[in-house]
Amino acid sequence: MLEVKGLHKAFGGNEVLKGLDFKVEKGEVVAVLGPSGSGKTTLLRCISFLERVDRGEILFGDLRHDMVHISKKKIREFRMQMGFVFQSFNLFRNMTALHNVMEGLTVARQVPRQEAERIAWEMLRKVGLEDRALYYPDQLSGGQQQRVAIARAIAANPQVILFDEPTSALDPELTGEVLEVMRKLAEEGTTMVVVTHEMAFARDVADRVVFMEDGGIVEEGPAEEFFRHPKEERTAQFLRRVLGDLESDR
Amino acid sequence: MTERLANILITSFTKILMPGIRVTIPLTVCSFAFSMVLALFLAIVQVANIRGLKQLSQLYIWIFRGTPLLVQLFIIYFGLPSVGVMLDAFPAAVIAFGMNLAAYNAEVIRAAILAVPEGQTEAAYLIGLTYPQLMVRVVLPQAFPIAFPSLFNNLISLLKDTSLASSITIVELFTTAQQIAARTFEPLAMYCEAAVIYLIFCTVLTWVQGYVEKRLVWEHKEGDRKGLRGLKTGV
Ligand SMILES: Nc1ncnc2c1ncn2[C@@H]1O[C@H](COP(=O)(O)OP(=O)(O)OP(=O)(O)O)[C@@H](O)[C@H]1O
Ligand SMILES: [Mg+2]
Repeated sequence: MLEVKGLHKAFGGNEVLKGLDFKVEKGEVVAVLGPSGSGKTTLLRCISFLERVDRGEILFGDLRHDMVHISKKKIREFRMQMGFVFQSFNLFRNMTALHNVMEGLTVARQVPRQEAERIAWEMLRKVGLEDRALYYPDQLSGGQQQRVAIARAIAANPQVILFDEPTSALDPELTGEVLEVMRKLAEEGTTMVVVTHEMAFARDVADRVVFMEDGGIVEEGPAEEFFRHPKEERTAQFLRRVLGDLESDR
Repeated sequence: MTERLANILITSFTKILMPGIRVTIPLTVCSFAFSMVLALFLAIVQVANIRGLKQLSQLYIWIFRGTPLLVQLFIIYFGLPSVGVMLDAFPAAVIAFGMNLAAYNAEVIRAAILAVPEGQTEAAYLIGLTYPQLMVRVVLPQAFPIAFPSLFNNLISLLKDTSLASSITIVELFTTAQQIAARTFEPLAMYCEAAVIYLIFCTVLTWVQGYVEKRLVWEHKEGDRKGLRGLKTGV
């Protein structure tokens, strides 16, 4: 449903994505794993056109486009079909939770105000924050802010939602509530790409796992299999390290 | 203090105050409003990186910050008539003060816009907002509380700088004090009195600033307010 092909991206002379192919099917939850600096964030930012790529092609629904020579208007068209959840929430601090969720509907999509408000309340209920609808971001905990950000991302009913380490900026006791919301979305059949360091989430919720290192995909496969029988030595090493951490965390 | 001096001080107080209220304050308000419109434009073409206009804006700021206000005032009022542009003293002063202050306010606004976290800009684009929508709905409302103290500071400076208008025949607060000083031969008393009236005006402005700043806080409208006081955004 969403596919990027031959993605090249360099910052200055530093080549971060080296001809990467990446794909997600409708209704699929893909977890993207990999060590720090492997290019996971860059991949998501390229897919959503937050970074200019050097080479690459995108196929999305029935849209197909070169990623280098693309107009602002076309980019906006692609983005209207995506949701994005940042590590650092990035809520609009001058708006209440409710208005954060409504903004993309009323302003970008000309949904009538009443209808937008109804949808926004519904989204906030979905993430369990109806009672915080009229709070400003600064009055919410990190976990609550991230749940509002998820509500904002799903409000326009996008085809796919991209998550960039949605729980990494949170205190450990707050990650659970966010992961719970994401798990619910996954169960409803939402198409999701999740960059994460939460191995348990990747194992239990993701359909497929993609392991990145050094700007390329080293291994990918069904989540079960990936964790139980990694094929590549580098993957196995990575898993030993992070799963070791996971064990000692407990 | 002699009785004569006391009398002069008392009768001249309202004589100096009235042109202060009728001329100095309108001059300040008009000049500031004009400067804000211009400053907003100068700042936005810079952060929006509009080629040509951005360089023009930088050139403008360079010139207007780099030359004295009094010289600018004289060029506009005494200089422009020789190329056929005749202005009354009041509009000439508004244009000079406004254009000068715009250079300073543009820098304040530009810095405030840049202080709004970049992540919100990206979030806005991703939910489909256009650049103008992003500016009007997300960035400027947050830049305003950041810029406010510095803008207000410039407003207070402007109020005092309007005394320069006396040099282009405008009968404002300071001009009146000069006239009375010449008539009564009491320059020390009259100029001190003028100073006190400026001080009063500025004190009132400072109160207004404090009052507005306290309200430049996003807070929720319903629910529990306890424990949320003192939460400030933007700054
Ligand atoms: N804006 C940028 N300018 C220059 N280099 C960048 C920029 N963004 C990322 N990089 C570089 O690209 C590489 C990949 O970064 P990226 O953020 O995609 O990694 P990541 O896999 O998301 O890591 P992490 O797990 O720490 O978030 C890194 O070497 C980083 O230094
Ligand atoms: Mg990252």
